[in-house]
Amino acid sequence: MQDAKSVPRQYTYTSGVKPIWCPACGDFGVNAAILKAMNELKIERHNMVMVSGIGCSSAMPHPFSTYGIHGLHGRILPIATGVKLANDKLTVIATGGDGDGYGIGVGHLVHASRRNIDLTYIVMDNETYGLTTGQTSPTAMLGRKTKSTPFGNIENPVNPMALALSTGATYVARGFSGDPVHLSELIKNGIQHKGFSIIDVFSPCVTFNTVNTYDWFRQRVYKLESEGHDYTDIGKAMSKALEDVVSDYAKLPIGLFYKTDRQTYDSMDIALKNGPLVKQPAHTEADMLSLLEENR
Amino acid sequence: MTSVTVRIAGANGDGIESSGALLMKVAAKSGLHVFGYRGYQSIIRGGHVWYQVRIGDAALNTHGDTADVLIALNQDAIANQKSRLSNNAIVIYDPTKVKPDGLQNNKLIAIPLLDTAIKISGDPIMRNVIAIGAVLKLLGIDISVFDKVIEGMFSRKGGSVVADNIKAASMGYSFGGLSTAYSLKSDGISRYVLDGNTALALGSYSGDCKFYAAYPMTPASGILHWFAAHENKGVLYKQTEDEIAAVNMTIGAASAGVRAMCGTSGGGFSLMVEGLGLAGMLEVPIVIVESQRTGPSTGLPTKTEQADLLFVMHASQGEFPRIVVAPRSVEESFYIAKEAFNLAERYQCPVLILMDLLLSEHAESVNNFNLDFAGIDRGKISETPAEGRFKRYLLTDDGISPRSIPGTAGREFIAGSDEHDEYGDLLSDAFAGLDSSLEMRRKMHSKRMRKIETMLKSEPLFVPQIEHDDAKHFLVTFGSSTGAVREAAEILKQKGLDFGLISFNYLMPLDSERTKALLSGKSLIDVECNYTAQLVHVIKATTGIDIERRILRYDGEAITSSEIAEKALFMLNSHKA
Ligand SMILES: Cc1ncc(C[n+]2csc(CCOP(=O)(O)OP(=O)(O)O)c2C)c(N)n1
Ligand code: SF4
Ligand SMILES: [Mg+2]
Repeated sequence: MQDAKSVPRQYTYTSGVKPIWCPACGDFGVNAAILKAMNELKIERHNMVMVSGIGCSSAMPHPFSTYGIHGLHGRILPIATGVKLANDKLTVIATGGDGDGYGIGVGHLVHASRRNIDLTYIVMDNETYGLTTGQTSPTAMLGRKTKSTPFGNIENPVNPMALALSTGATYVARGFSGDPVHLSELIKNGIQHKGFSIIDVFSPCVTFNTVNTYDWFRQRVYKLESEGHDYTDIGKAMSKALEDVVSDYAKLPIGLFYKTDRQTYDSMDIALKNGPLVKQPAHTEADMLSLLEENR
Repeated sequence: MTSVTVRIAGANGDGIESSGALLMKVAAKSGLHVFGYRGYQSIIRGGHVWYQVRIGDAALNTHGDTADVLIALNQDAIANQKSRLSNNAIVIYDPTKVKPDGLQNNKLIAIPLLDTAIKISGDPIMRNVIAIGAVLKLLGIDISVFDKVIEGMFSRKGGSVVADNIKAASMGYSFGGLSTAYSLKSDGISRYVLDGNTALALGSYSGDCKFYAAYPMTPASGILHWFAAHENKGVLYKQTEDEIAAVNMTIGAASAGVRAMCGTSGGGFSLMVEGLGLAGMLEVPIVIVESQRTGPSTGLPTKTEQADLLFVMHASQGEFPRIVVAPRSVEESFYIAKEAFNLAERYQCPVLILMDLLLSEHAESVNNFNLDFAGIDRGKISETPAEGRFKRYLLTDDGISPRSIPGTAGREFIAGSDEHDEYGDLLSDAFAGLDSSLEMRRKMHSKRMRKIETMLKSEPLFVPQIEHDDAKHFLVTFGSSTGAVREAAEILKQKGLDFGLISFNYLMPLDSERTKALLSGKSLIDVECNYTAQLVHVIKATTGIDIERRILRYDGEAITSSEIAEKALFMLNSHKA
């Protein structure tokens, strides 16, 4: 923990607001990992915007002292995209849950991914709807019994890594909140990566998910880097993304699946060639007169 | 005032609309006033379409009613337009393609349009230009203005385009037997011609809007086309995956300090509703354009209606201040779009501009625009570091709390869609129901709602406008119907009936005292394009005054001045009896 007195204000990243998560919720580990990444990256806090949706996990911005928007369920990415397009000098970090990002908001994920907009998107994937007290989620495994699937889930789970890979995300990673140091590294690199970074995080809901617990994950996760995975190869990345299903959840890879450099939307948009939109000079009377003339 | 209504009718794909636009440009440049409207029926090639251009020597309120001149490009045009002609209307047609069945009483001008066109350039589209040349002759418009307009439009294209067009128009102009049939007095002013969507886009540009997000939807798409075409002029246009993304990106951009707008029609606005509430709760200044078309659901996608007024006024759960404004003309769309950003930023709330297909897609001539670039008011923005944590949602007397823009050091805050305290910290879940939370909820909600009182106190805008205030009877309307209603009042006056006009543009909030004072004790007839008389509901709710006489149209066509006048007359007469 940092000492507020010795650290300059712009590099003090905590607001003092206490997260309202249940004790031992996986999201605490994610919070610690983000804070560690920030402390290491030392981006001025007023140049960072954290955007979240609705869900337990979407409370993430409040303990931080950056700018933030705690918006609507499922609409994290459009809001974050709007912020980034208005000011591409800002570091924009999007945080939310699996229901938010892979359920109600999954359409936006596809498009943020293919746009390769320069955002870092951290999804706390607890395979459940925590805030609404434990219904099934888009990543819940087949057969899982929840409040809303008392007879067992009969819908195939979304595979977030495969989805992100197939839609054009340029930094695709997965972490585990039980290993915040490893996760922090993934987040740090994601923030530094120019382009759309998605970091899916196994973040157990200790209150409503009695199947996918810390222990359950610990027995199954292994680090891709320990196997020398080639993250520049999208084919290999895709087969790693599918390993959970192929191994019938015996092996859950974490780490960097894929990374590539592709021009970002924000670097290609012609409107941003003259610098961040918010810094561009006000429209002038001369501009206006020539535009009006098009109508004569 | 003299005015002539010209209708060009044919099949979709015949270049009807661009011909109408060309005729308008030439007339407006010749010191005349124009008003055009596309009466399209089909978006698929081959369907029957028409474009109507009214040309006058004084300001026009509508595109006119029956056609004085018809250019019939195919047989369908004769069949469909026969019943919509004025007495003694002139019909220009191609005798090799069209039989003027049932038009014995009209003045017929047979020009071999297609053969001549093919001879000139091999391109059948030239037949429209020949016909326009003939119309210019009928109207007494100097053909040299046509040449100038064409040079302005096509000189960059090179080749023979300019020469071919000029040749085609002059062949029509000097076609044997043609003579000038109308006397229109030019005032020498070269006017702009633009539709409501373009005027709105230009107005927002002059209001320093730099961000527009949209998902294509008729009749709002013209706005996105304008922004997309001007991305190299200091605006960013983002085509989104859906309207939900459009409104939320707009909220993101506005939060980051850029003047931002999104636009759609009713169906897309339905998807934006949750975002609208978010802007209300976060107190983010955004502008949303809702251009109505005939509903419900997909409705008549290319037809007009004013049936989303109550929807736009009340959309979203919960209560929050918003401004709803319906421009009454193309020119006013410009000024309202510009002012919308000042209002949004001054009161940190969403501003909704209610357009409709008629206003979005009809073109009018405008003499000039007043470009007041000094008039940008960004409202309360804090730029220096706060002592301690920044209270973004400070409880203030006027309800407006200074906001800050990301990038400003020492003013960081988290904006929360949950109810929050002055810092933006959430009241919900853990703390809801505790006494301190109940009190903060009351205070914060009242703070936001107080902005309505502040608006009403500080802005003179929120009352209807009255024309001929000493009249005996008044037609009452809002938004795009105003032009037709104004013209109807004039028709009624010519018939010896003393009619004035009360028209609403700013509809929410409404100054109830002043609105009531303006309306009470008057003989009123309501006119609007919907089934349920939504404006009457608004008036009744704010003033207690009911308007029992109502002229309503909801078949997708714009209401016309002659039908309003006729029905108003009938209502007055039946009242006497
Ligand atoms: C439009 C809308 N629908 C439903 C809800 C209710 N809701 C709030 S959070 C949530 C699901 C939360 O699940 P997830 O995103 O996985 O977050 P978690 O709580 O598990 O971290 C739902 C359905 C809402 N707030 N808004
Ligand atoms: S309900 Fe689950 S996800 Fe929500 S805070 Fe508690 S443990 Fe975390
Ligand atoms: Mg979840």
